[in-house]
Amino acid sequence: MARILEDVGKRFLAEAGIMVPESVTIESVSELDEALDHLEGDVVLKALVPVGKRGKAGAIKFPVDREEACSQAEKIFAMEVREFPVEKILVEEKVAINEEYYISAAYDKKAQLPVVVASTAGGIEVESMSRQHPDQIKKYHVDPFIGLPDYKARELWAELGISGGLLRKLGQLTSRVYHVFDKYDCTTLEINPLVVDEEEELLPADCVMATDDLAIFRQPELEEFVQVGSERLWRPLTELEKEIVEVNEADPYRGTARYIEVEGGEIGFMCGGGGGSLVMFDSLMRLGERPANYTEFGGNPSADKVYGLARGIISKPGVRGLLVCCNITNNTQVDKVAEGVVRALKELDKDPQEFPIVVRYAGVNDERGQEIFESAGIEYHGEDITMPEAARMMVEKIRDKNSAGRS
Amino acid sequence: MGILIDENTKVLIQGITGREARMVTKHMLDYGTEVKAGVTPGRGGQDVEGVPVYDTVRAALKEQEINLSLIYVPPAFVLDAVQESLDNGIKLLVVITENIPQKDVVKCLRLARDKDARIIGPNTVGLINPGAGVKLGAIGGDDPDRCFVPGTIGVISRSGGMTAETSWMAKRAGRGVSISIGIGGDPMIGSTPRDLLKLFARDDDTEAVIMFSEPGTHFEIEVAEYLEAGNFNKPLIVYVAGKFTEDMPAGTVFGHAGAIIEGEGSKPSAKMERLRQAGAKVVENYDEIIDYIKEI
Repeated sequence: MARILEDVGKRFLAEAGIMVPESVTIESVSELDEALDHLEGDVVLKALVPVGKRGKAGAIKFPVDREEACSQAEKIFAMEVREFPVEKILVEEKVAINEEYYISAAYDKKAQLPVVVASTAGGIEVESMSRQHPDQIKKYHVDPFIGLPDYKARELWAELGISGGLLRKLGQLTSRVYHVFDKYDCTTLEINPLVVDEEEELLPADCVMATDDLAIFRQPELEEFVQVGSERLWRPLTELEKEIVEVNEADPYRGTARYIEVEGGEIGFMCGGGGGSLVMFDSLMRLGERPANYTEFGGNPSADKVYGLARGIISKPGVRGLLVCCNITNNTQVDKVAEGVVRALKELDKDPQEFPIVVRYAGVNDERGQEIFESAGIEYHGEDITMPEAARMMVEKIRDKNSAGRS
Repeated sequence: MGILIDENTKVLIQGITGREARMVTKHMLDYGTEVKAGVTPGRGGQDVEGVPVYDTVRAALKEQEINLSLIYVPPAFVLDAVQESLDNGIKLLVVITENIPQKDVVKCLRLARDKDARIIGPNTVGLINPGAGVKLGAIGGDDPDRCFVPGTIGVISRSGGMTAETSWMAKRAGRGVSISIGIGGDPMIGSTPRDLLKLFARDDDTEAVIMFSEPGTHFEIEVAEYLEAGNFNKPLIVYVAGKFTEDMPAGTVFGHAGAIIEGEGSKPSAKMERLRQAGAKVVENYDEIIDYIKEI
């Protein structure tokens, strides 16, 4: 999932025939004057960051005059909104609000179908909306092969008590919103609020759009907006994380190496398999230790990829040992894992006598893998122990080392 | 016998000429699986490990008896491949491919429901019946016997790697497996744990089931409801991985793409509690699986 910023999302809506508020995107305060010249009347300033709840974070402002706009823009540019620095501000005409509605399209994972949600109680967070106004919300499961015809959308709004010209406009707009959702392989497209002004014109005041990073191959227009590797994180990538994204992308078709930095922790965590990594992290936490990072690797990576990942894990400051563990592999070659790990340890000058290492890796070519590990002085385990047993060994080793260091 | 696959399984592999599919074809044949045909458009007339390759599923079905399609085509072509098998009347499909766009997955699953067909996956390591010597997909690699020995325990796992490890735990406890199934790691999959438990409930060769779960999804709540309805009278041992993710900042995905926590009910601790109430044997430490197996 990749978040598309509000200005781009609104551009896509406009291209689908939906009227959106006039706006200008600025990248520095010096561009503000020109933006204000271009727009008539009052404006709103919004930080363009890929996270929600910007209002609460103070990243949306309604200045009363130019002077205040300038000082507020300066403040917003200096902010980090949930760790994302503000690089752009959307300067947008302020819309006159009569009513606030809500429209979204997303996938209902349980029904395994797209779902469109409409509500006449927009303008608040969707969680509170569902809690406080369940009677003002209607849902419709869309046939993915048919899409959302205008009439279906009108039925939805009619059930919410809408009639007259507004019903026609809402039907058309909702159908177009679904069209954008479908066209750009979105996972979510939410307009909240959808403002109804004094003249019963509809204007999306916000647009939250997330697209499916797995569909980027057929969405060339979206490519520039999506940062590879950021789709699963709650914050911008750290330097080490970026480095390992590069390691992974250098050979994208062989094996996977994912790395997430975790605050604190002494144990370098190099565990394989999506599920296996979860088991190992849980096992270490149960024993009262916190790993220095999270990883998943597998799918038969090359020795180079293993090396790049190992190097990254070990080089995080504060790492005092390494746990290399995986479920018994279906296809990952254990000798390649051994080659990569041993090379990283040698290059970073880590002596297994001083830098505790536990390996539990059974599977394809494990006899050769065992030889490589053992000839580098590393204790090797295969099918003789279980995964939680490897975690316990690691914890014992690192605690021994720490108490020896203190005495 | 077991569920889904047995001695009578006759396999077609869509995308058989790809690098990984070729290797898997060899391993499947070595294990004794009847791979009758492959399909790669434009490669008709060739063969892979002695298996004839056809241009279309229709052409393959004219010459071969097939009752299962194993799909190895790249993500962009999965929807078309699934549609082709379904339209040609195949009722059991195993979709190995990962990284399929969500929109295409939704369409595949929708079509399968319309045709009353079953999909395992997508994004699965496959499934194996060691008693019958049948395996589909990379599961077990070139040495399935290392983890999968014949026995009476069913395994259902969200994680491919842990399908093998969990089956190996059964072996370590002195038992073996009837069928081990990787259900796939995507947010939306064709056969959920509840769907499979319904089959295991009726299978005389399965005495107990082990389930390996991850954060996210409503699957475990469904399983708990199913247990409470009294339809499953065999021991169900469950390990839910990823408890630590509850202490991590929201928004990060650990484990599979499907492991996004949405709502309280999809948190590991909530799943464990709910399943425990419903009568499942919920394991805190993964090693305890062995103790529970020994009690069966």
